[in-house]
Amino acid sequence: MMRRHLHQVLIVMRKELKDSLRDRRALFSIAFSIVVGPVLIGIMMNRIADRQRESEQVTIPVVGQQHAPAFVDWLQQQAGVTVARGPLSAEKAVRDREYDVVVVIASDYAEKFRSSRPATITIVADTSRNSARPTIERVRRLVQRFNAEIGALRLISRGVSPAGVTPLTVEEIEISTAQQRAAQVLSFIPMFIILAAFVGGMSIATDSTAGERERGSLEALLVNPAPRMAIVTGKCVAAAIVAMTAVVLTTALSANIPRFLPLQDMGIRFHMGRAELAGVLAAMLPICLFSASLQAAVSTLARSFKEAQSYMGVLVLLPMLPGMISAVSTLDQQPWMYLVPVLGQHVLVMGVLGGRPEGAWAFVVAGLIAVLTAGLLIRTMTTLFKLERIVFGR
Amino acid sequence: MIRVTALAKRFGIVQAVDGVTFEARDGSITGLLGPNGAGKTTTLRMLYGVMKPNAGEIRVDDVDAVASPQEAQGRLGVLPDGFGLYPRLTAREHIQYFGALHGISGDQLRARTEELLRLLDMQKIADRRTGGFSHGERTKVAIARALVHSPRTVLLDEPTNGLDVMSTRAVRTIVRRLRDSGHCVLFSSHVMQEVSALCDSIVVIARGQVVARGTPDELRRQTGHDNLEDAFVALAGAELATEDTWS
Repeated sequence: MMRRHLHQVLIVMRKELKDSLRDRRALFSIAFSIVVGPVLIGIMMNRIADRQRESEQVTIPVVGQQHAPAFVDWLQQQAGVTVARGPLSAEKAVRDREYDVVVVIASDYAEKFRSSRPATITIVADTSRNSARPTIERVRRLVQRFNAEIGALRLISRGVSPAGVTPLTVEEIEISTAQQRAAQVLSFIPMFIILAAFVGGMSIATDSTAGERERGSLEALLVNPAPRMAIVTGKCVAAAIVAMTAVVLTTALSANIPRFLPLQDMGIRFHMGRAELAGVLAAMLPICLFSASLQAAVSTLARSFKEAQSYMGVLVLLPMLPGMISAVSTLDQQPWMYLVPVLGQHVLVMGVLGGRPEGAWAFVVAGLIAVLTAGLLIRTMTTLFKLERIVFGR
Repeated sequence: MIRVTALAKRFGIVQAVDGVTFEARDGSITGLLGPNGAGKTTTLRMLYGVMKPNAGEIRVDDVDAVASPQEAQGRLGVLPDGFGLYPRLTAREHIQYFGALHGISGDQLRARTEELLRLLDMQKIADRRTGGFSHGERTKVAIARALVHSPRTVLLDEPTNGLDVMSTRAVRTIVRRLRDSGHCVLFSSHVMQEVSALCDSIVVIARGQVVARGTPDELRRQTGHDNLEDAFVALAGAELATEDTWS
């Protein structure tokens, strides 16, 4: 008996897969969901790399160069720096985005400098502009370094060791903004992988439930001597298999991002080898059964394909939640998280990609929870399939 | 063979089926006749196990269809009301899907599918997707998949509804052929010409109750009307006899 029912699960599953593989529109949307994540990440990373390269080669417009030839000479000697003639109105030029930053040397600079009084150098910048920030930061550091060097020279000329006025040696381990942003972009990868699990199974989950209700083929299907549980399980497993395929492809594409991007040059450590791939899949494959069952159960409540699709639009926000939360605040790995479907998987994948994977127990716990909740959803759905208002309510 | 005793089904305050009792014998065509909303479809749905009756007994051969609906389903071939097909599957795939669910496989399934395609004259459309089929072609697919497991008892809910003359004749031929090979055929209709032309025995249902039962001749005698149409009108109640409910 058991074997016969298992066989019926396979028959339903095979039919649903065959049916949906012939649905070109559904296939297109699945393919889109697989590709969109890695491609978006690739584009964002590329932009960050471009910007970083730009900020290394910096052209600084300086107004009033004649007042401080020594400073201008010093600037020009620094690596990657070119000094340009300043605009007539520094503030207007920055406001109009003609330049990211303009350095203005006060007309009394030479006089004050000679008499060892603080001379004024003005940095005109708009720090609210994200793209200008690395350049502004660079110029500010250059000016500060010039300031420190001159100060030290003056002390030496007066016979004082500069060490006396430098109580601290500040060592900076630099994590440049570009790297930070790149890391942030890479943190979207878990979200896109979870998204693939939800979008991948969506069309089968809706078509085989709400679609079947709408077409009126459900009644004929239920006349076959197969338990509702076998029919429901077959539908959910079919959707889960497509979701798993989407997850595998998205993960494989993400693993290949470093091939197309100069991540190494940017000093970003991103490596997805076999071990990471295995880790991601171990975390993600069980959740596909959960996402597919959830979508199928919710779609069963819908009278039409269209109604089901509007529910799916809301459901698809679910996998994005952990990703969004982790974008604004850091999601620390906490043991309880593995008990929450989707959140647990997100944390696991973050851990694997961050190079500090959680122990095997966490994978087992999160996987078991996913499969168990999927089982509960399948049971609920079986009950729904027995309700006359679901089967006949068109 | 089907034996139905005191079958009842209520939807909220509506008593859709109210103590229906009848019998459909093997080697015979039984017609379930009644106006729209009389309870024909609800009765059939309880017979083929997708609705639970509130009361009453259903026996398909020796099987209690209320207690073990799946066992009864294995013995029934069913064309449900307003059946739907899968537009992306071919006619052949429809037959094979239902055959597989009934536990038929391999060569046996292939041979039975071929047999049905031949029987229903569907060889030309066998490997086309059903998405573009005409209503007649769709009905043939639905009948073929209902017969794939060679059921002894066949239930057809308004099989000729909306079909043109040619397709209606094809369906009638199938029904007669099933009877001649010893099957029990129970089919519902609201078209009296259909029932009188085809059925060996008629069960007239109105407002959820059986109002008459017998061969066409017996019905004429019971009501004292020579004309079958007049006989049905008398049985079903004059208020239901307006043109739009009867045809």
